[in-house]
Amino acid sequence: MTSIGWSFVEVAARLLEGDEREAVLGDLLEAEETGLQGALDVFGLAIRRQLALWKDWRPWLASFGLALPGSLLLMGFSLSVSQTYQRLIHPAIFKATGLTVGPGFTLLLCNVFLLIGWSWTGGFVMGSISRRTVRVSAAISFLPCIFCLARFRVESLSRFCLLLFLLPAIWGVCSGLQIAQIKMRSALILAAVITLLTIPTWGSKGLWIPNWALSWPAWYLVVMAWRGHAMKERERWRTH
Amino acid sequence: MLGEFEYLMITAAAGLGDKAYGAAIREEIEQTTGRKCSIGALYTTIERLEQKGLLTTWMGEATAERGGRAKRMVRVTPKGVKAARDFYEVVIRVSRGASWVANRTGSAS
Repeated sequence: MTSIGWSFVEVAARLLEGDEREAVLGDLLEAEETGLQGALDVFGLAIRRQLALWKDWRPWLASFGLALPGSLLLMGFSLSVSQTYQRLIHPAIFKATGLTVGPGFTLLLCNVFLLIGWSWTGGFVMGSISRRTVRVSAAISFLPCIFCLARFRVESLSRFCLLLFLLPAIWGVCSGLQIAQIKMRSALILAAVITLLTIPTWGSKGLWIPNWALSWPAWYLVVMAWRGHAMKERERWRTH
Repeated sequence: MLGEFEYLMITAAAGLGDKAYGAAIREEIEQTTGRKCSIGALYTTIERLEQKGLLTTWMGEATAERGGRAKRMVRVTPKGVKAARDFYEVVIRVSRGASWVANRTGSAS
């Protein structure tokens, strides 16, 4: 196998997990496959592995129940927060005094915390629920972002206002990949705070669907933490 | 019941004994059947059979001809042996009376 062909195979093999990558690359070297054939073989295996993961319900929930609608709704909410910020904090006065607090400042603050909370919990659940398909879920969540960024036409705002949710969401995904679940008390406090922060919107009839579409990950974390806690208790009972 | 490729895999691994690993099983299947065996089919089937408890695998030693990379060694479990035997017996039973079987044994004219 030529060095260029082998480079292709090695790049393709990055899609495989550690031990399997080792075994497959060794097999290809031993069989003296051509670079193209080797790369096709490795791609074939990687695709089969990915497809096998999608037999489970979790990747579907993470991608189409969370990543896709979540990113769309969070973009809308990011825009809403940006517009509220622009309306409340007048740039001219801001320059003169440093900061001017408008009448809806508390609401703005609530919305900022809500945006961070929703983004982080959504990202956390996306990362923890299906770790091996997280790249696909991330790609799916970027589709509405690309679509909306291309069609953004608000002159007074930068198009990047749509992406305010992105940093806390990425932070959430990284945390979800590292720790599968958070402690019961933390999960409960987080879910309660997020739900409390949505109270101002309860009066609007049309908002309850997006509210719950973005709040369920927080309560999912509570259920998962409770299940983990219950399992630990059961284990403790068995050992004593 | 096993699938055709699963049976081939178990039989090849059983025949190779202690020397059963990915590349060797693949070569054995290709030589015996005359058909191409893709790496994808090989490793997904190994994993499926391992999940069913018909095979066990572990990472073996690395050799120079493999560029210092380890082998994924394979061993057929007693459950795997039974599943392969059951499949073989079904093939024998279902083949009784088939013209090509009768022609081979020479009992039919």
